[in-house]
Amino acid sequence: MIKIKFNLNGRSVETEVKPSTTLLDLLRYQLRITSVKRGCEVGECGACTVLLDGKPVNSCLILAARVDGRNIVTVEGLLKDSKLHPIQEAFIEEFAVQCGYCTPGVILTAKALLDINPNPTIAEIKDALSGNLCRCGAYHQIINAILKASEKIKTRT
Amino acid sequence: MNSNFIGVKTPRKDALAKVTGREKYAYDIYLPGMLYARVLKSPYPHARVKKIDVSRAVEMGAIVITFKDVPDVMFNPRLISTPDTTYKDWRVLTDNPRYIGEPIAAVAAESEELAQRALESIEVEYEVLEPVLDPIEAMEEGKPKIHEKIMLGNREIVVERNIACRLEIQEGDVEEAFRNSDLIIERTFKTNKCYHNQLEPKVAVVNPEPDGGLTIWCTTQSIHNTRLLISEIFSIPVSRINVKRLPIGGSFGSSIQTNIVVPIAVALALKARRPVRLAYTKEEDMYEHSSFQMIFKFKIGVRKDGKLTGGYMENIMDIGAHQIQAYPLLGTCAGWWVSLYKLQAVKYVGVAVYTNKIPACAYRGYGNPQVTWAVETIMDEIAEILNIDPIELRLKNYVGEGDIFWGQGPTVKSIIKSCGVEEILRKGAELIGWKNRPRPGEQKGRFRRGVGMARGYHTSSAGSPIPGQVIDYTGAILKVNEDGSVDYITAMVDQGGGTLEAHAKIIAEELCIPLEKVNIVQADTQTTIYDVCTHASRGVYAGGGAALNAAKQVKKKLLELAARVLDAYPHTLKIRYDKEKKQGVIYVEGADGREITIGELATLARVKNWGTIAAVETYRPPACPPHFTGYFVEVLVDTETGIVKPTRVVIGADVGRVINPDLAEGQLHGGFLMGWSRATIEDLKYSRETGDIECRGFITDYKMPTVMETPTEIQTFFVETFEPTGPFGAKGLGEGAQNPAIAAIANAIYNAIGVRFYELPITPEKILEKLKEKEKIELKIVEGV
Repeated sequence: MIKIKFNLNGRSVETEVKPSTTLLDLLRYQLRITSVKRGCEVGECGACTVLLDGKPVNSCLILAARVDGRNIVTVEGLLKDSKLHPIQEAFIEEFAVQCGYCTPGVILTAKALLDINPNPTIAEIKDALSGNLCRCGAYHQIINAILKASEKIKTRT
Repeated sequence: MNSNFIGVKTPRKDALAKVTGREKYAYDIYLPGMLYARVLKSPYPHARVKKIDVSRAVEMGAIVITFKDVPDVMFNPRLISTPDTTYKDWRVLTDNPRYIGEPIAAVAAESEELAQRALESIEVEYEVLEPVLDPIEAMEEGKPKIHEKIMLGNREIVVERNIACRLEIQEGDVEEAFRNSDLIIERTFKTNKCYHNQLEPKVAVVNPEPDGGLTIWCTTQSIHNTRLLISEIFSIPVSRINVKRLPIGGSFGSSIQTNIVVPIAVALALKARRPVRLAYTKEEDMYEHSSFQMIFKFKIGVRKDGKLTGGYMENIMDIGAHQIQAYPLLGTCAGWWVSLYKLQAVKYVGVAVYTNKIPACAYRGYGNPQVTWAVETIMDEIAEILNIDPIELRLKNYVGEGDIFWGQGPTVKSIIKSCGVEEILRKGAELIGWKNRPRPGEQKGRFRRGVGMARGYHTSSAGSPIPGQVIDYTGAILKVNEDGSVDYITAMVDQGGGTLEAHAKIIAEELCIPLEKVNIVQADTQTTIYDVCTHASRGVYAGGGAALNAAKQVKKKLLELAARVLDAYPHTLKIRYDKEKKQGVIYVEGADGREITIGELATLARVKNWGTIAAVETYRPPACPPHFTGYFVEVLVDTETGIVKPTRVVIGADVGRVINPDLAEGQLHGGFLMGWSRATIEDLKYSRETGDIECRGFITDYKMPTVMETPTEIQTFFVETFEPTGPFGAKGLGEGAQNPAIAAIANAIYNAIGVRFYELPITPEKILEKLKEKEKIELKIVEGV
């Protein structure tokens, strides 16, 4: 077993993991963060996306031992004082949510994009989202939601 | 009509939980003390288990079950057809696997890892049998028999030449109709086998209860049918089984039947006497369900003026190793065909054939997208031959208002009472610029633009005035709370389209209460009345009908009680939605101040011992009205790479009255993308050598569209009609949203390059190949001149 200590949504977590444990399994099975969805487990669908030091990663492809000393954000970490993040608001307002299984991963990908590029073009949004599958086909609404979130963030800061 | 909520943009009630990650799907259920299960599956497409040794797995402390440990019951995992028309050939675990991936044994252990290790320790000796992968070959004499005997209802039947079931229909004199035709067109079409690829893999969590009963959390579109099936297989009284309704991470038809993980997890939990969780991986999920593959032969007669005369359709369906809904699908495919265009005489022969492949089940549209692709291709060809505008040809022949509609095949018929087809086609043509579309095949150069259209429809529910062979009824329970809110209790499942959101709006509209005062209550089979299944685009139409009737009952009771308080006659009272009070207010018209809020009334009813204001409605939809759609697609074909891109899409829909405009629009967008995928990308190809799917379950090798394939320009519009049998005039949408997509895309590709494709998917490779052939022919013609 390997001892690790990392920051999860602003809180310090200390735990032990096997060398073979993936970040996805650590989050879902050990810590019960079920917003991190188990999808394809081969890094194709993006349902298990989390932010690792601000960058979107497929948690199924990252070994848990590697997150020692690092920062992990899941969709739970976007709430501030129980208030929704502008991206979450925009997803509700633009009807970018259907079955919702891809939603946490898509929102985190959007967060990472807007953090480094507050004014993305549609092409840049598409590029950022190319690793998140939505079988309901809500991409059009998702793009609109990210454009709206970008506006919201600008007017609030 | 003025509405507070119907047709008004309102945020989804479940969106908050979904954007914050708090929505709990079946895959997110973990119980204290539960065991994790894994399933041992056949590595051969056709085999018999000669010996199985599980002793090492048992020594490792795992709970193990094999085909010897499950009830000797043959079943069909889908319970929607009447029992006498239900073909049964499934067992929970089998010693005679008929496809790669068929469950043989299962284990449960303290962790998934331990379970996997236990599974790998099981030794199986197989007698490998010859597989049959092609449905035409499967029907030849002397081919291996996939099933010997199966059940039809309670009757044992013998399977001949691997024919699972068949259906023939004849109405009118087809030969006579052909004799009266100026043109007869004959075509053969072959569709692709597709994987639903819903994001949430199939899962079941089962908790054995102290009374011998079970509580089940699973991916399902029908909690009540899951309960009935588990009762049937394991002989547990139905009342002791409680299945929880949960949101589902997409389904597209793949959980209409009870997924095999459920009975396997039940068998393990019963043996372990502990909770068991069986969660399939994505790879396992791909071996669990896929669409039917069909070969159609069409012969259609038409007169010079473009009036269709009669038609013959042959439908050979590759159903894979087991029956789920092959027999009803033979019927609906006939229905999808004859309800598109009027034919004086029809003959239909449908044959469902077993092969050693993944069992096929419904996949968004239930055969309709495939049939529509074939019929709309033929319509385009007829239009070109007869030199009639393709839209005019369709308007001349379509089945519309006042016509008989075969909603779910020949046994579910009703009369169409609302129809917006003409307006959809006229408006869509205008928006896409139909008159300026290129002439087919005339373009030169690398990139060629094409515009194509197709129309279609789907049934809303499987209701009809008579019972038929399909069970279709639903129910709703409503109770009024002391704060003026109502609890809405239904067994219907929301697959993501917003079915329950629409119900909430219907209830709020009828009772004049704020939408946030309709609570969609967490539910299970113990607390709900029967609903057959959320399928057949019936959520809004059938479920909304039940919700509306329940709300009407509640309203009547509210007015009766309010009449006591307001000293007036119940039938003279009115209700209004008071935005400031955030309440429904019951009042006497013209008498200022004689009013009471629903909250006050419910509170008074409690204090005065008048009782709870509540209603139970069990509801059979009286029809299955078609919702209509029209697709207009512009594509750009790269003749060097064969790659096709959608550049503009216009989709029109008649869904009766639109309840939730934004969610309805979302269905159309999603419908296009799925149609695009089925038309140009998806194909669950089998290797003839291994009898396995070529992608071996990996979605890295099973392509589906990403955001990159989404056209920036999608325009949608609704032609509002009023469906007299629907709640506030509404019909369904989920499947019609996609049905004509494949056909419109195929017609657009033809328009661009002048080549027709009769086999799906239309891949870049096929396009390049056909373009080469075409060039050769054109060259020959030139040389000949």
